[in-house]
Amino acid sequence: MIQQISPIPTGMIETQTIEVSIGPQHPSTHGVFRMDAVLDGETVVGLKPVMGYLHRNHEQLAERMTWLASIPYTDRLDYFNSMTNNWALCLSVEKLAGIKVPERAEYIRVIVSELTRILNHSCVIGFMLQDLGAWGTPLLYAFREREKILDLFESLSGARMMCNYMRFGGVRVDMTDAMVAQAKDIVAKFPRFLDEFEQLLSNNEVLLARCQKVGILPKELAINASISGPMARASGVDYDIRKVDKYGVYGRFDFRVPLGEVGDVYDRYYIRVLEMRESIKILNQALRDLPAGAFVAPEVKLRNFKIPPGDGYGRVEAPKGELGFYLVSDEGGKMPYRYHCRPPSFINLTTLEDMCLGHKVADVVIILGSVDIVLGEVDR
Amino acid sequence: MGFLGKGLFQGMAVTARNFVGTYFDRGTREKLVTYQYPEEKPPLPENSRSFPFLVYDGTPDAMRCVACKICETECPPQCIYIVMDRDEKGKPQQRPKVFDIDISVCMQCQICVEVCPFEAIKMDNDYEKSQYGRFDDLIEHLPDLLKSNEYYNEIKPTEAKAVDAKLKAEAEKKAKKGTSKPAAAAPAKPAAPAPAPKPATAPAGKITIPEDAPFTAEQRAWLAGFLSAGGVATSGTGVSPVAVAETTGETPVPLPEATPAAEAPAGGWPWHDPGLGMSQRMDLVKAAPLADKLMAAMAQTDCHACGYDCRGYADAIAAGSETDLSLCLPGEAETAKKLEELMKEAGKL
Repeated sequence: MIQQISPIPTGMIETQTIEVSIGPQHPSTHGVFRMDAVLDGETVVGLKPVMGYLHRNHEQLAERMTWLASIPYTDRLDYFNSMTNNWALCLSVEKLAGIKVPERAEYIRVIVSELTRILNHSCVIGFMLQDLGAWGTPLLYAFREREKILDLFESLSGARMMCNYMRFGGVRVDMTDAMVAQAKDIVAKFPRFLDEFEQLLSNNEVLLARCQKVGILPKELAINASISGPMARASGVDYDIRKVDKYGVYGRFDFRVPLGEVGDVYDRYYIRVLEMRESIKILNQALRDLPAGAFVAPEVKLRNFKIPPGDGYGRVEAPKGELGFYLVSDEGGKMPYRYHCRPPSFINLTTLEDMCLGHKVADVVIILGSVDIVLGEVDR
Repeated sequence: MGFLGKGLFQGMAVTARNFVGTYFDRGTREKLVTYQYPEEKPPLPENSRSFPFLVYDGTPDAMRCVACKICETECPPQCIYIVMDRDEKGKPQQRPKVFDIDISVCMQCQICVEVCPFEAIKMDNDYEKSQYGRFDDLIEHLPDLLKSNEYYNEIKPTEAKAVDAKLKAEAEKKAKKGTSKPAAAAPAKPAAPAPAPKPATAPAGKITIPEDAPFTAEQRAWLAGFLSAGGVATSGTGVSPVAVAETTGETPVPLPEATPAAEAPAGGWPWHDPGLGMSQRMDLVKAAPLADKLMAAMAQTDCHACGYDCRGYADAIAAGSETDLSLCLPGEAETAKKLEELMKEAGKL
């Protein structure tokens, strides 16, 4: 789908390509991210993503800390979705140490993760529309709904965004009946908001004109570049780790994986709307079936937690894609010997150039918006 | 029936509905979610956390913190700095002299609260901490950190009640146990003031450190202790505390009668270093008497979580006056296991 740039006819005014640096201090780059764009007129003929402005040495830091001390740092990876980040690390450690998680904890994890997915997707749509020039309205509607979920997270974990909620073998505090009722209330009201949101956006002619057939990611490229999450599914790749791995208790829920056909920006927008609807389905089932019992495995210690030598990779379907942690434990086992994080937005960003070539500069912004990046995770 | 611009009109209907809706949703806060912040503050949920504070019962002197440094060790961004209070003779006072939290570094993760065995550090929910200065103003010192248990009960009623009940039960259990234990065990014995190295105390026939060896005084002290610990039993049995006190030029401290006297040998106990691992510490006491071996198995924090310092607890176990081997909190199961193993080796269990 990449348009060929027509060579400049001889005899006309001679033009040359110009290199423009977009970012790192630009509101449309979603943080300190820079795009080194080569432009022919207004058309993009080359684009290099430049990362690393927010590098915080997360992996190396984790290698000199206890296993437990890494959990609050994972909150700061993708600061929109601290719950799924926690889960990814806990899942890897539990796999490595062979810890069994109690039923109730698994359900609570599913509930908070799906709520996280809802808040991430609704806000990403808001940000995308912000990039299109829809100043404020969709974003603030999304933020209004997000606030209700964050209120629940605050009463549950103590913090709105840096939840630090999960622990090896469970979660830190139990979900009380009042919180379950609050979650049920959020879930019951959310579809109404989603309908309203769709009414506002899905058929909007401006949105259709700007998003359809823009930034197409072919299915083959998505697979070859190991794109994951809603971006891969918008290109028609049927790959959802909740279905593939069935980690936690995801095997018990009835939900479907929506797939896109074209793989353009509009598909990436709409796939998120559909995924939110599926998340609501999962939430309804999880809140209905939430069992009683322990919320954390009692045999797991907080201090002096040690893991026998070995290595393991645990991954979850984070709202942005496959988030995984590869951990190696050696003699002693008090802290990881090697700690590697596979961040979805970093890897999804690698196809940015392929999607942008041949489009106008204004489209670059919306294509980047549809990738859904958080720089905390891209740079780590 | 579609026509161009239908989607736009639909969208505008939604915005109009929301615009008007805010005026009818005032009470429920369903649509109107803005708080006029400095005048109007949103209510905080009980679990809400901002920065840690230290709890005291009654007066600030009766703080729960015993300066065991567990939170300092476990803090992920290393923002806690603790110095244990000692009297003029160097005796640990079971409370911090310095307890600083750098709130510009603190990431409010609550791990210090979770690992504290004494329920001494808790999360506050006061988020208005802005200061004019960037450096000193953002470090909270001990007086800023101390807050009463009543305050804790006020901000986190459910959690505080559970903690109070737990502490009460623990105190009762301790009181019951205390009657069978020698009461004199509680006052801690003087800790090692790490005197200057004395080559004279190094046993003959052992390696002595040459005078011109390129060591600092500290390294010398450590090496002297390391070498002497290899074969000669110095503590408890070898040199009497009074003799050591005389040689170091200190006035002897009146010791409780019930417990055997123990004083650090010259150079201190080389294994009395929380930085060493269990195996390293055990290597240092291979040929030492049982009490030293037991002491080396402790976590070496002198946290008094067991009711003694590390030396005292080891001596009490060796003397048979203490039978519970699981009292070392910072050492956890590793210490308990090692103590059991050592006692079995010695044929006392």
